Amino acid sequence: MATQTIAAPVAHIHPPPKGFIARYVISFDHKVIAVQYIITGGLFFVLAGLLAELMRAQLMQAHGHVLGPALYNEAYTVHGSAMVWLVIIPILTGGFGNLVMPLQIGARDVAFPWLNMFSFWLFPPAGILLFASFLMGAPQAGWTEYPPVSLHTPGTVLWCAAIFLIGVSATITGINFLVTVAKMRAPGMTWTRMPLFVWATVTTAFLSAIATANLSAVLAALFIEKVFHVPFYDPANGGSPVLWQHVFWFYSHPAVYIMVLPAFGIVSEILPTFARRPIFGYKAIAYSSVTIGLVSFMVWAHHMFTSGLARWVQLPFMILTMAVGIPTGVKIFSWVATLWRGRLRLTTPMLFTIGFLSQFTFGGITGIMLASVPADVHEHATYFVVAHLHYVLVGGSVFGIFAGLYYWWPKMTGRMLDERLGKWHFWLMFLAFNAAFLPMHWLGLLGMQRRVAYYSQQFGPDQLGWVQGTNWFVSIAAFVLGASMLLFAYNALRSASRGRPAGPNPWGARTLEWMVSSPPPYYNFAEIPIVLSGPYDYGKPLPYANVSQELATVPVA
Amino acid sequence: MATHVLRLDDASYQEIRGYRLLGFLLFLISDSILFSSFIFSYLYDRAASPTWPPPGVERPDVYLIAVNSIVLFGSGVTMHLAMEGWRHAQRSRFVGFIVATILLGCTFLSGQLYEYMHLHDTWAGSTFGAFFFTLTGMHGFHVLIGVFFLITVLIQALRGTYTTQRYMGLTAATLYWHFVDVIWVALFFLFYVY
Amino acid sequence: MAAISALLMWGVVIFPIDQFLPQATSASLEIDFIFKFMAFFSTPILVFVNGYILYFAWRYHTRKGDDITAVGSSIHDHRWLEFWWTAIPSALMVALGIISYLVMPKYYLASAASVATIEAIGHTFYYEFRYPGLKQSVLNDMHLPVGKQVTIDLTSSEPDIRNAVIHSFWAPEFRVKQDMIPGMIVPIHFTPREIGTYRIICTEFCGIGHSDMVGKVIIESQADFDRWFAAQQRLQAAAGIPMEVPLAKGNSAAGGRLFAERCTVCHGTGSFSQRKVGPGLGNLFHDPAHPTLVTGKPANAADVADILEHGASGDMGTMPNAQANRLTPKDIADLVAYLQSLH
Repeated sequence: MATQTIAAPVAHIHPPPKGFIARYVISFDHKVIAVQYIITGGLFFVLAGLLAELMRAQLMQAHGHVLGPALYNEAYTVHGSAMVWLVIIPILTGGFGNLVMPLQIGARDVAFPWLNMFSFWLFPPAGILLFASFLMGAPQAGWTEYPPVSLHTPGTVLWCAAIFLIGVSATITGINFLVTVAKMRAPGMTWTRMPLFVWATVTTAFLSAIATANLSAVLAALFIEKVFHVPFYDPANGGSPVLWQHVFWFYSHPAVYIMVLPAFGIVSEILPTFARRPIFGYKAIAYSSVTIGLVSFMVWAHHMFTSGLARWVQLPFMILTMAVGIPTGVKIFSWVATLWRGRLRLTTPMLFTIGFLSQFTFGGITGIMLASVPADVHEHATYFVVAHLHYVLVGGSVFGIFAGLYYWWPKMTGRMLDERLGKWHFWLMFLAFNAAFLPMHWLGLLGMQRRVAYYSQQFGPDQLGWVQGTNWFVSIAAFVLGASMLLFAYNALRSASRGRPAGPNPWGARTLEWMVSSPPPYYNFAEIPIVLSGPYDYGKPLPYANVSQELATVPVA
Repeated sequence: MATHVLRLDDASYQEIRGYRLLGFLLFLISDSILFSSFIFSYLYDRAASPTWPPPGVERPDVYLIAVNSIVLFGSGVTMHLAMEGWRHAQRSRFVGFIVATILLGCTFLSGQLYEYMHLHDTWAGSTFGAFFFTLTGMHGFHVLIGVFFLITVLIQALRGTYTTQRYMGLTAATLYWHFVDVIWVALFFLFYVY
Repeated sequence: MAAISALLMWGVVIFPIDQFLPQATSASLEIDFIFKFMAFFSTPILVFVNGYILYFAWRYHTRKGDDITAVGSSIHDHRWLEFWWTAIPSALMVALGIISYLVMPKYYLASAASVATIEAIGHTFYYEFRYPGLKQSVLNDMHLPVGKQVTIDLTSSEPDIRNAVIHSFWAPEFRVKQDMIPGMIVPIHFTPREIGTYRIICTEFCGIGHSDMVGKVIIESQADFDRWFAAQQRLQAAAGIPMEVPLAKGNSAAGGRLFAERCTVCHGTGSFSQRKVGPGLGNLFHDPAHPTLVTGKPANAADVADILEHGASGDMGTMPNAQANRLTPKDIADLVAYLQSLH
């Protein structure tokens, strides 16, 4: 028997996959998987967005007749569940995490490519399961599905099953990314020479791997309770509804950081590129991401301040929630300082990033307003919270997603998106978004609570006219917001045939993904790069020993 | 007939082993979060109840389960001895102790089944039953998977997949089996002692 | 930027919150102070962050003709600046935390003994209030005397406990909100300070009628409250004397409008099996095979009117009574006439 020893797998380039199925359907290539995640997430974004437009149509009048109360409840439940689990988390982690992180660390793929592919293929069935529930009775109790009401309304079992599936996908992806960054960084890339998007990915992966396991446990428990009547949460059988709130939020608070940390990473990449200067406070941003990730496990009960918790329990949660605002503020100030004395090019990705900065700051401030227990008691479960969460998740994460899409589109597809269409998209989206969600703060404080199909009962005749008028205005803005997405869709489709072909580094950036062709070859790097220092020192030569300096930093866009 | 076997050089093997070990450890950590979630919930319900166990519920007897626990911990010892045997290239010692581990694991599962069938409490009957059967059931399921895992590595070992230098699969199986033991320590204490 | 901040901060200070939302209890004043405090200090943060973004975007923008390869400053930290922009927000958080901590007891701990404890029970989809001294509950409309601290014990319950869900008691004008959780009794305390009629809104999704679950709290002078209380005692003593329902004068068109407004949250006009919360009522009077009423008798006008007056409770759930549904005797007659007119 002859044994043939082969050289180090990291340097080894295996032959390319053959055939349509192997290359595009069950591909192990992280870049293909990333595109699969982004397309699937985009589809669910459209579906969940249409649900939101239906909801807004219903709310244009104080007692609307577009959707009955049952259908309205189903709409906001599936809208919320889909946006969290089928859009934002998959696009930011499975999409951008897969696309960018391995390239940025100089690797050829992730640590477990088969698991990566398996992880993706859990995603479409989970989404189909959730949306198919409309045929049999969709869940109605909101994306939080609190028992006992979730045990009395339909759709809970399907909801548990769908989210369980996507949770398994997220856990596997988290483990995969952690091992990849821990073990597969290019020679010379110490932790403090990593791009900030990789720092963000690592922290997010840690949250995904650890917190999602808890979600799986509680979904299984709710499922078992609904199907087999095992008493966990139903007080009729001795269970505790507040227990559900504790264990659900123990996952779901870290989940909101899973949804925003990658967007922070995207912002940290785009700002130095289009300011052509180093990011301000690299270490502060990197370490604050880790701090935010760790503290995110300690603040969950701020969602439960009206649930009858003892005062001595509420106090530490209030303090920690306020505390987590400090590292976030540090990042925001550092990002703004990156603009100072830069050479700014206000391209579409840069505009979305700047929009993020402004809107996320505002959302962060309303978050602090929610952290104070006495203030939260008035604001909880009203449209004030709806406004806050959309400022951070849409004004923050979704704007971050679009910033990333416009930024990495050339790398992904080899084509440039049209700048003019992009700017129209940004301005329309920015104005419509703020017009839609800013008034909601006020509506909430005055008495409009969440999850109501109509609001004719809770306002006196002197206020109702104004409230209805505001809701009408908000709905129109929401329709414009939805329409603005068509600009992106058209731009994206158009780029396939009419987009300008992109070279390796159209923006003149310095991280490793821009040192290979657009799109990259399936093996990423012919030769693994050797890293000599951090990536953001504009003005100095590229910090890679075996990469052509000509790929450097002359922007062509 | 000459057959060609592709074999990684030492550096590459160590590298891949590093990925797999870290990945497996992270998997075990997330699995322990799964158990911890239910354990926390059990402790919460217990603290929130005016009396424990709830009315009409009998705490299960500790004697049978103590014996069963010794069986499980014993299987941890035999697993360790099997690994020692492998590392010292004592093949028959390895095979003997792995088989012993598998048998002890199956004995534990039978003991659990016996316990289940003779318990007065039911899964849906009380919050105690809810957590008891869910947690011990999850644990039993993990033991069952562990038994299949051990059978698989035994077959692989007999086939010559591992050497005295390279036995990542065996390491993973050992880690998993000890993990299952540690979880049992927690559950035993939780349901039978505390 | 400092000037704009100062202007807006002054605006926050003088902003008349109470014009938009009355400050109806003692807690409202302190909580409104916290809102103003938070808005006050948020204003300069927002002005400075957005201001600098806009200023830098304008000032450092590469313009036509600029060298596209030029790079910006290489400064990547500034210890003094970073220290201050960490320290000042931290100090503000500490201040906010302390103020919040001091305000928290305002509705959790009784500072002096309350004059009375009232039980508030959430149902699908109405509020039930049990006053000490009243034999029967008051539904949906709570009366309180001004200036006296009260304790409200909140919970959620149903005749069949398996149907109970979480509700919430939110009085925006009181700045008080507390969830009503089945199996738990949570007390809140406050002192009403302004006479008026205010809303109680359910803010925890409780099912199909969540949007309809709105009650009233009427704060009145002690004399008015005493009058109301005495009237309740008289009414309840007289309970058992049936309402005079003028069945013969029922107007089915008016009944149809009332049905659409009040009843469709729980009932449809389809067949019995087309349930929303309660059964469909379309065939109530005209289907010989229709299930009997909860009284055990087949559908007839008098018994249906009786159910509307007194409510009913059984396996299928709870039908609120006339007081909960705010039905007058004429309303009941109209509804019966409408149901008789179906099919």
